[in-house]
Amino acid sequence: MTSGYAVPAGYAGRAGYAGRAGYAVPAGYVVESSRAETRDTVTLVLRPGRQPIAAHRPGQFTMLYAFGIGEVPISISGIAGGPELVQTIRAVGAVTRALCAAEPEQHVGVRGPFGTDWGVGVTAGSAGVEPPGTALSDPAGKDLLIVAGGIGLAPLRPALLTALAARERYGRITVLVGSRSPAEIAFTAELDSWREAGADVRVTVDRAEAGWRGNVGVVTQLIGKVDIDPAATVAFICGPEVMMRLTARALSALGIAETDIRVSLERNMRCGIAECGHCQLGTVLLCRDGPVLDYARARPLLAIREL
Amino acid sequence: MSPVPAAELAAHPFLRGMPDGQVAQLAEVATATYVPVGHRFFEEGGHARRFWLIRDGHVALDLSVPGQPSLIVETLGAGDMMGVSWLSPPHEWQYGAEALEDTRTFELDGAAVIARCDADPALGYQFFVRLMTVATRRLHSSRIRMLDLYAAPGQTGGR
Repeated sequence: MTSGYAVPAGYAGRAGYAGRAGYAVPAGYVVESSRAETRDTVTLVLRPGRQPIAAHRPGQFTMLYAFGIGEVPISISGIAGGPELVQTIRAVGAVTRALCAAEPEQHVGVRGPFGTDWGVGVTAGSAGVEPPGTALSDPAGKDLLIVAGGIGLAPLRPALLTALAARERYGRITVLVGSRSPAEIAFTAELDSWREAGADVRVTVDRAEAGWRGNVGVVTQLIGKVDIDPAATVAFICGPEVMMRLTARALSALGIAETDIRVSLERNMRCGIAECGHCQLGTVLLCRDGPVLDYARARPLLAIREL
Repeated sequence: MSPVPAAELAAHPFLRGMPDGQVAQLAEVATATYVPVGHRFFEEGGHARRFWLIRDGHVALDLSVPGQPSLIVETLGAGDMMGVSWLSPPHEWQYGAEALEDTRTFELDGAAVIARCDADPALGYQFFVRLMTVATRRLHSSRIRMLDLYAAPGQTGGR
């Protein structure tokens, strides 16, 4: 199988990347396990068939291929360190429904990892493949404020897990999660373990169900409930674009510098290697220059009504 | 319940920045309260005469549903103002309110606050700008929730 994609110079020149399986041509992976997060969201643990894709960083994504159906961009929701790849998928169309229904030992294709990352755990001169585009620095010593809306928690999870694994490296770690309803909160089984590991985790829902005793309201309302030192905080936001815009605006109003607010944008990623132009947003090709951008760069892009 | 020193009342986010003399007028009609988890502040349909400035804790605004547990429409916490139905006819609570945690508040008498605002328009201006800010923020939040942002996108394509 060939994809027909050429390897762009920006990637080909990076040691360890050019010519690897899983970059232009999907690498074969096998479903190790599947866990339902919510009624329409599944986390797959994938193990490589022969050759794994390159090491990934928190915030990057892959193109997941359901053979015979199609390929979609999916956030990596696990941390690197082993051969397995953890990806969380919401069933919103034919390809994602097929991936969500994948059973153990089923084969899928994986290309990637692609795009920029949150910067957590990335140090200058660190080993591995440097993704092209703007490199965001590791906010060592800073407070981390992670704001997730819905399935947006998936690409933030590896940043959180990486930070919790190096707890002394960062200041306070606060996680604010907004969800449509209690039943649609992803990774509920892990929230307490994140708290035990030292994160202040707060959840709010748009619509309560009978028996819910937690917060009800939009996720931006939680911002006013936590102690934030604007000068010492780096924020990571992922969720629906309107939610990200409102959250970034609220954090900016508190005094957090736009360069210290990082958002993960999504468009119609196809090739993953900045060749096809489907994910273009203004002057940015999000599969290469994103998905993670700082708000200073993302703010004007979020105001573009249509391209 | 206990009387409220004006300095303590002034520290509440709702009143932050209000001139001392105006805060002192509100402190005359405020009491400090502490309620345990499960306390019902008011019930839907009840006569609305007071409002609360929440100092800490967690309060749910709820609606009763026949045959089911009540539904929480919004939760409030430290720094929030609770209760606006006292302000205008029919002076009936539109929701119920229950403490989800032990909660400390400043409780203010609505009629007494209105009387002071009538007598001192500068106080009235300061008070109602703050009230309007709260109402605007809640309206904005309600509109955002109505958008149902976290619903699955209505895609019919290949994704």
